[in-house]
Amino acid sequence: MSAVGPSANIRPAGGEPRNILVAHGITKGFPGVLALDNVDFDVRSGEVTALLGENGAGKSTLIKLMAGFYAPDRGEITVDGVPLQADPASAHRIGVATIHQDAHLVPAMSVAENIMLGRWPGRYGWVSRRAQKQKARAAVDRVAPHLNISTPAGRLSPADQQLVEIARAISEDSKILIMDEPTTSLSPPEIERLFRVVEDLKSNGLGIVFVSHWLEEVFAIADRVTVLRDGRLVGTKPIAELDHDKVIRMMVGREVREALHKPRPVGEVVMRVDKLSRQGVLDDISFEVRAGEIVGMSGLVGAGRSELAACIFGIDPYDRGSVEVGGIPIRSNDPKAAIDAGIGLVPEDRRRQALVGLMSVRSNMTLSIFDRVTRYGFLSSRIEEEIAAREMKSLAVKAASSKVRVSTLSGGNQQKVVLGRWLARRPRLLILDEPTKGIDVGAKSEISELIVRLAESGMAILLISSELPEILSLSDRVLVMRSGRISAKLSRAEATGETIMSYATTG
Amino acid sequence: MTMENTQASSLAPAGQAGLQGLRGRLSFIDLMQSVGLLGVILLGGAVMSVLSPVFATTRNIENVLQSATIIAVVAIGQTFVILVAGIDLSVASVLVLSSVLSVGLVQFQGLSPEIGVVVALAAGVGIGLINGLAVTKLRIPALIATLATMTIARGLAYIYSGGTNIAPVPRFFVDFQAARILGIPAVIVLTLVLAVIAQIVLSRTSFGRSIYATGGNPLAARLAGIKTERVIVLAFMISGLMSAIAGLLITARFEAGAATAAQGLELAVIAAVVIGGVSLFGGEGNIGSMLLGVVLLGLVQNAVNLLNVPPNWDSVVSGLVIAAAASLDVYRRNYLEAGMRRKVIATKSARTPKT
Repeated sequence: MSAVGPSANIRPAGGEPRNILVAHGITKGFPGVLALDNVDFDVRSGEVTALLGENGAGKSTLIKLMAGFYAPDRGEITVDGVPLQADPASAHRIGVATIHQDAHLVPAMSVAENIMLGRWPGRYGWVSRRAQKQKARAAVDRVAPHLNISTPAGRLSPADQQLVEIARAISEDSKILIMDEPTTSLSPPEIERLFRVVEDLKSNGLGIVFVSHWLEEVFAIADRVTVLRDGRLVGTKPIAELDHDKVIRMMVGREVREALHKPRPVGEVVMRVDKLSRQGVLDDISFEVRAGEIVGMSGLVGAGRSELAACIFGIDPYDRGSVEVGGIPIRSNDPKAAIDAGIGLVPEDRRRQALVGLMSVRSNMTLSIFDRVTRYGFLSSRIEEEIAAREMKSLAVKAASSKVRVSTLSGGNQQKVVLGRWLARRPRLLILDEPTKGIDVGAKSEISELIVRLAESGMAILLISSELPEILSLSDRVLVMRSGRISAKLSRAEATGETIMSYATTG
Repeated sequence: MTMENTQASSLAPAGQAGLQGLRGRLSFIDLMQSVGLLGVILLGGAVMSVLSPVFATTRNIENVLQSATIIAVVAIGQTFVILVAGIDLSVASVLVLSSVLSVGLVQFQGLSPEIGVVVALAAGVGIGLINGLAVTKLRIPALIATLATMTIARGLAYIYSGGTNIAPVPRFFVDFQAARILGIPAVIVLTLVLAVIAQIVLSRTSFGRSIYATGGNPLAARLAGIKTERVIVLAFMISGLMSAIAGLLITARFEAGAATAAQGLELAVIAAVVIGGVSLFGGEGNIGSMLLGVVLLGLVQNAVNLLNVPPNWDSVVSGLVIAAAASLDVYRRNYLEAGMRRKVIATKSARTPKT
């Protein structure tokens, strides 16, 4: 059956929508985190369903399950009553096409070849160029008649590449089209064109899943909105029943407790970031952090928060501006210089950026303090053990001993090891990038308490977090980033879930 | 405390953790590498001494070990490079270049033998430096960078020697080859001393720790303040130095500056290192089990000779041993990771988190 051609199976738009894809009771866990917990979701023909949620709410996991990349631990996904197998190829066969954030095309192959990728028409291994062109042309004409199908895909703009992917989905007779943040790299006119294509597909009976961080777009295109929070379903509502504030409230959830926050004396400026800019990533960032102060940094994924941390800590170079610690500018693009100046970084992806999985807990803790554990040119395992034992005790790290491989620890305990490394060094400023990501509730509150204790001891803290409760309960001030800029600097009184989300999504 | 924080003690790996890791299957896989290797060597030795009357003689064993010394010394250097997730194909060429320089500078240029030795060693370190800079600064993949220097160094050795052996060698090469310390050939003692030094550097110094960190996770190492590029360059320089030392050993053994020796030695060295449990992915392995890999490969060679296996079969047998060792390496890694995932999912899905 063709999804776009006139077909008996497809009702004209405007009639009662029919469920195509039904996900029921979906539960999916990963090491250290339960990504989806008993979630129900459905996609209807002729409708655009927007899938919303804060970072880490479980949107990506749900998309990957529907695209067949993972199998759910519990629950089932069916497409027109047929169970979906955990295999991307069978998801395609059954009619689920996914457009990822970055185009998945073979750059050196032509548009036509890309559209027919893996399904090249022909016999005995010979590709029939004529049939290939005909079929590709038919699909391209629906979404991007302006494209020449012989052009290598790599020469197209990101917007056109995306249209080629949509054409591929059409040529596969897809019933469901999942678009994961399709507008991030598009200009306004391109977005408009994309939306026209989406409207057209919709009227032809495709079910569309639209993921976006931009609420304006959601209200422009979606028929229904499904919101996830912390891996759970908050609800699915028709767009007519919602407005901007209601959606944000669904995403943010109930008011968060602020028990942790007690006013602290704030000291001298420890770090001053001045007009920091990096082409296409950061634009004119200025702020300061004082001793004993916790500055929260909020914003959506891709707003540039981790990139800012990378520039401050010397992982990435920057074009303009400066970073000073205690009034002394630090050399850019040199993590060693940043560490020597007194900065510590607990990076977002601890497995990839902070820990050497093959090495022991102890060796990971002393990785930044060789100077303190070396005697007469040799590492002293006695001093190493002293430091490791002290930090493991103060952080309550659960491990059989300091000599086990760090990769055998749970996510929360691994994070404590990274924290322990910096506690052993006592930096003047500690940057924490999503410190409780993928960590269970118990360890989460321990880490939050530790952050407060560090601030009380006079350490300056820059806390990057996508979790609003964390930002709201810990921060003395909140900076909100959007598209590489600081879109708001909020005092503790001004900072609420709603104001932060507002500046992050629309500011 | 929640279940999340319960550390699964059965997952404790052996490696440096020693006996406490004997429990649990993961540790078993880990131990296979060193204890298993020793077991294979002893078992193979036992079988061989039944099959061949010559095998268990002191003379034969000494012979096996003595011929393994060249590979062992080169392999010590190669281990440093592989530990930082690199590879050094230039080792055999550096070896012959060092060999012809050590004799040629005396024979052709009339320099003192000491200067010959120093220049030979310096050449090895220099080529290692070039390899390291090509990999870190020019970002050429190690395989290609060292393929280039391999070809160049071999070419220079041919040009300098005219493509033939240079003889006679200075007196002390001959003396060294004949020397014995406590009844053990000096070349074996020297190899062991180098191995012990290498092992101490790797396990007891911050440089050694930086090697493991750089190979295990270069990004994390850099973010911890380790100058990873410098570490990689030094690893290649050590490999160059060790290859040059092996060049002097071959000069002593052949009593000639041997330009045409050691063809394909780099592959035998890499094979031995991998059999010895040094992971090609970097960050894992030690000198002790690596040497067992060298010995095992030497014994396979010896067995093939003694059992009158048609000579061409020895490369097939060596190849199978290498394939088995490499599979074990991959299997062990996958097993570790899969085991971790299962464990965590099992504990997580057993309960529902509160929000």
